[in-house]
Amino acid sequence: MRDSLFLAWRYLRHHRAKTLLLVLSLSVFLGLPLVMRAMSAVIQESLMARAESTPLLLGKKGSSLDLVVEALYFQPKGIDALTTADANEIDQTGLALAIPMRTGLMAQQFPVLGTSLDYFSFRGLKTAEGRGLATLGECVVGAEVAASLGLKPGDSILTSPSTLFDLAGVYPLRLQVVGTLEPSHGPDDRAVFVDVKTAWVAEGLGHGHQDLATAGNDVILKRKDGTATANAKLVQYNEITDENAESFHFHGDPSNYPVSAIIVVPNDDKARVLLRGRFVNDSARQLLRPAQVVQGLNEQIFRFERVLQLIVWTVGLATALMFVLVMVLSWRLRSDELRTMTRLGCSRWKAVQIMGAEVLLMVGASVALAAFFGFVIAQFGEAWLQNLILRGS
Amino acid sequence: MIELHDVQFEYSQGGFSLSVPELRISSGTRAAAIGPSGSGKTTLLNLISGIEPPEAGRIQTAGVRVDALSAAARRSFRITHVGFVFQDFLLLDYLDVRQNILYPYRLHPELHLDADARTRAERLAANLGIERFLARRPDELSQGERQRVAIARALVTAPKLVLADEPTGNLDPATKQHALDLLFEQCDAHSMTLLMVTHDHGLLDRFEQVVDVSAFGASRS
Repeated sequence: MRDSLFLAWRYLRHHRAKTLLLVLSLSVFLGLPLVMRAMSAVIQESLMARAESTPLLLGKKGSSLDLVVEALYFQPKGIDALTTADANEIDQTGLALAIPMRTGLMAQQFPVLGTSLDYFSFRGLKTAEGRGLATLGECVVGAEVAASLGLKPGDSILTSPSTLFDLAGVYPLRLQVVGTLEPSHGPDDRAVFVDVKTAWVAEGLGHGHQDLATAGNDVILKRKDGTATANAKLVQYNEITDENAESFHFHGDPSNYPVSAIIVVPNDDKARVLLRGRFVNDSARQLLRPAQVVQGLNEQIFRFERVLQLIVWTVGLATALMFVLVMVLSWRLRSDELRTMTRLGCSRWKAVQIMGAEVLLMVGASVALAAFFGFVIAQFGEAWLQNLILRGS
Repeated sequence: MIELHDVQFEYSQGGFSLSVPELRISSGTRAAAIGPSGSGKTTLLNLISGIEPPEAGRIQTAGVRVDALSAAARRSFRITHVGFVFQDFLLLDYLDVRQNILYPYRLHPELHLDADARTRAERLAANLGIERFLARRPDELSQGERQRVAIARALVTAPKLVLADEPTGNLDPATKQHALDLLFEQCDAHSMTLLMVTHDHGLLDRFEQVVDVSAFGASRS
């Protein structure tokens, strides 16, 4: 067999372009279904783990999938907002802990989550460096954000304006990084965390500016009944510092301020049942179990994957037939070589062994290549594919 | 050395038959087989080497009754007792010259590719003047150089008999003479019997025996 392998290796090496093409085709044929199955299993598992760790989620009536995807995986879906009054209502029942979440903002391409300190203990997020949130304008960044932007406590990050070409719109807010989180191997690694009030400031619902009482007349349009109206010259702060923190304020009723969703952590099973009962007939809001919604998504992924597998196997079959055709034609072209072998005294079995060794080497190389790419994709493709699925869901 | 007696042969698909009443070529002889195209020269080589079994008659080559051997035994006999030189050389373009010379060792378990075989290959290459091409591929060589590689491959297993089917047919006159010189030299040096098919009657005076195959009974249907 050693001689057969030697001859096969020399032949394949000499015809390296043809060999490489065949090996690549075969490796795609062999690797794709396996990688797809493995990736799909890992993604479904990770989606489900996140959903199962979130007992109940309160949001506005609408697509339950969009609500779960935006609240749990921070993929912007444009869901309608609840208000802080809804969070207070949950708190006042005494049945559960309400964790408000304000999503939809971005900071340098990473999602910003405005929430309360309870979120960190609820998700088991630990500070790797620095400290947790304490005052307005501070942020804590997930492990992946810290790594990819090279952030550490003391650095800052700008929120991305949602209305880039609207000069009168909301300007970016500079957030002070006070801590980085340990990796949690989930969406929290790719998020920037701020207090929900900081999120409102970043959205323009709260703001800080030069004191109108001490401002010069060049910035005042009119003064009437103890109130002053300023013109565009008034200095608006785009960063919350110790010096200007007191100037930040919110207008209107705080109980009407928006929250995208509320994580509801019931005290016990009975509280869970009671809460679900309360929202069953609510016409404006929905209280759902994320695991149930993700189960539905997983079933869709599974159905999609089965269709894809069918396509891949069909293409694979065509590839295999092409491979056989190429090999048969190649052997036919080598009839002189086969005749020489026979005339010199080589048995047919030996000739088959040499041809078989060529197939074996190519299939072996294809399996190795498929395994290598499978490993690489499994290592680096999971987050990418998960984002793709959630964005498209 | 080579004895054929009342040999009858017909290809299984029909179309050509050959009968050889009597043929004797002594050991160590340089013999030429001549005859017009289609007279059965190549068929005669095939019968002597055991590539084709006869339907009747007796064939004794290098002291072995080839006609009595099984197909597997004939293959074994061929690779251990017979060296072949083909007109179109039939070298493998994916092997270098060294590996082409050693090729028979890769094909049969009875031949062991050991240090002795490698030394023999190198010595043959030196004798044939192709030692500096050992690492090159056949397509980098001239026709004459390729023929010398084919001769080295035929001789490397130290066969008792060398069968050459128009080995100089593709060579120019000067190269032809030189290739023949080398082939004779090597066969003489190792006391090998040589039976060479040729159409070139100008070479016949260099052979000790000439076999006119057209004198045998060949027929086409």
